[in-house]
Amino acid sequence: MAAILANLNQFISAIAGFLTPLALFHVSWSTLLGIIIGALPGLTATMGVALVTTLTYKLPPDLAILILICVYNGAIYGGSRSAILLNIPGTPANAATTLDGFPLARAGRAGKAMGIATSGSVLGSLIGMFFLATVAPLLGNYALKFQSFEFFWLAIFGIVISGHLTALEDPMKGWIAGFLGLLVAMVGQEGIHAYERFTYGTTDLLGGFALIPAMVGAFGFAEVMSVMRSPAPEVVQEARDSIIPKLGEVFRYWRTIIRSGLIGTIIGIIPGVGEDIAAWVSYAAARRKSPERDRFGKGSVEGLMAAETGNNACVPGAIIPALTLAIPGSAPAAVLLAAMFIHGVRPGPMVMVESPEFVYQVVAMVFFSTLGMLIYGLTLTKPLLWVLAVPRTRLMPVVFVLCAIGSYAITQRTFDIWVMIGFGIFGYILREMKYPMAPMVLGIIMGDILDKNLRRGLILTDGDLTPFFTRPISLVLWLVTVSSILLSIEPVRRGAQRAAQALRPWRPRAGTETR
Amino acid sequence: MTLRPGAGSDGNPPPSHLPPYDRSEKTADMVKADFLTGLVLILLSLFVVFESWRMPRLEHLKVHPLSVPGLVPAFLGIVIFVLAVILVVRSVLAGGHRLGLSNEVLRRLRVEPGNRRLLVTAVLTIGYAGFLVGSIPYWLATGLFVFAFIVIFERRRGMTRREYVRLGLVAAILGAATSAVVTWAFQSMFLVTLP
Repeated sequence: MAAILANLNQFISAIAGFLTPLALFHVSWSTLLGIIIGALPGLTATMGVALVTTLTYKLPPDLAILILICVYNGAIYGGSRSAILLNIPGTPANAATTLDGFPLARAGRAGKAMGIATSGSVLGSLIGMFFLATVAPLLGNYALKFQSFEFFWLAIFGIVISGHLTALEDPMKGWIAGFLGLLVAMVGQEGIHAYERFTYGTTDLLGGFALIPAMVGAFGFAEVMSVMRSPAPEVVQEARDSIIPKLGEVFRYWRTIIRSGLIGTIIGIIPGVGEDIAAWVSYAAARRKSPERDRFGKGSVEGLMAAETGNNACVPGAIIPALTLAIPGSAPAAVLLAAMFIHGVRPGPMVMVESPEFVYQVVAMVFFSTLGMLIYGLTLTKPLLWVLAVPRTRLMPVVFVLCAIGSYAITQRTFDIWVMIGFGIFGYILREMKYPMAPMVLGIIMGDILDKNLRRGLILTDGDLTPFFTRPISLVLWLVTVSSILLSIEPVRRGAQRAAQALRPWRPRAGTETR
Repeated sequence: MTLRPGAGSDGNPPPSHLPPYDRSEKTADMVKADFLTGLVLILLSLFVVFESWRMPRLEHLKVHPLSVPGLVPAFLGIVIFVLAVILVVRSVLAGGHRLGLSNEVLRRLRVEPGNRRLLVTAVLTIGYAGFLVGSIPYWLATGLFVFAFIVIFERRRGMTRREYVRLGLVAAILGAATSAVVTWAFQSMFLVTLP
């Protein structure tokens, strides 16, 4: 009880700390910018956070991170607007939103759909925030037990699980993307003997590829090319009905809201999976449990609520491992993590020892971004319609100008513009060939962790591999990793399904399965 | 569990089947792309393993042999090699090695409007960021880039002279405004020495 009160006290202090005109000003513009970035097809949350990182590196750390979290949370919500009005998800996280959001808009209920999306996003974000405040300290304390063996497996586990879940159709492409990311991280001076790997005498590569220019390229430049290649979007639906949701209608789906919030948070905690998968899994779970499952895909309020609750709950969820393990739960969280390092904040297992107040500051930041989202969500209708009407031929060159100068600005090296271009082309090609980006981003972040911890572990045991497989946490991590790989092999999966059915004491009635 | 895996930035609901290949035309292209990607990845992984092998063992520093710099890159190279071989074998079994590249296919790729837009975008963006920035004043490079991008993509066949003038004016205003705001913000607010 005393611990809960102490946590609550820290949270209230953090809230009070941000109740200054300057902080509130930053919350107001950055949440709005996030919503606009999210709403514009072609501008994703990852790109938004990466670009805004380049604009905030001169600010004090707490304000800079506040701005980035507002952009991140706002963008995931903002994407629902174009999903509903254009049938194009503003960010990949809103793909599930199109299934019911657009049919509602076409039926003349765009206002209602936007209101439901706002309610779902706000409630999802609050559920995620609750778990951020309660789980992060626990995980932070638990993470203190992690040694090299566990961190090695955590890196492999993250790549394999992220690769699997972000490319369910073809997990191998997810794994290839992840291992390529790890390989990218090998470039530059290594952390144990300071040997320069794959630099070939170039001083620019001594520190490896900087994450922000790489992310701006892979998510910004690649997206510019992708948007310009695709045909122009068509009709923007108008909202003639009220955008203010009825409370009774929202809370009628309280089970869906809580379930989706939990799913979103848990998917967020899994390294490198992210908001799009959170939305799809929440949507699938809601459809399976719903008595109105026939309405799903035809304008179901519950389906829309599930998708939007799930993706926004994932945002605080993805911040949990970023804060406590320095391992991001999603691609935008990876950029956020990089931004924290740029600002001298050192997340990781020591965060609860060195600066526990920072965790609660982050919870407060999520709270303020949620508040901003609610206010803009219920008031901004027409201005966002105008934003959506801006032709891509006028928006994309401006976006690219920011990609170029943003990559350059952090270290003021022209080399970083080339890094942005290189990763943009690389990212575009991989994306066109259905390689997911999230495992690659995770790989770039985890490369250093994998490298140092595998070698340190081997030195500690003098080459004995036993502790890598027998320490309790390592055991769980490698078992899950190997199971994930085995279950992606078709005959093994079929065999496992048959075995599970044989062991099941009862069989589902015909027609109750909702595949 | 009914997942909609791999929903990408295009937002289209992905197909529900789980095996990697079906029989559609789009998938046939993907099989070929996988074959080529697999070959590139095999070459890359062999290069990485070779380079890792060449990295010093630092015996003169008496370092532990399992802490040598090449250990982890070699491990990653081997994993990527295995995955790439599976990718190639899988693609060959689905007929991906029969690339069927003919002049007609290449011509169709060249004239496809999306590919043309992509090519023009790549030329403009790389030309601007890679070559123009740093060669001429930043504000001028940025203004010219935005102007050219808008004019090239918005001009249509059969536009009247008046429409051309209007388009040029809009592009010039947007180019000048973008250039002025970005130059001012980065130079004066963020104290960046522009390239």
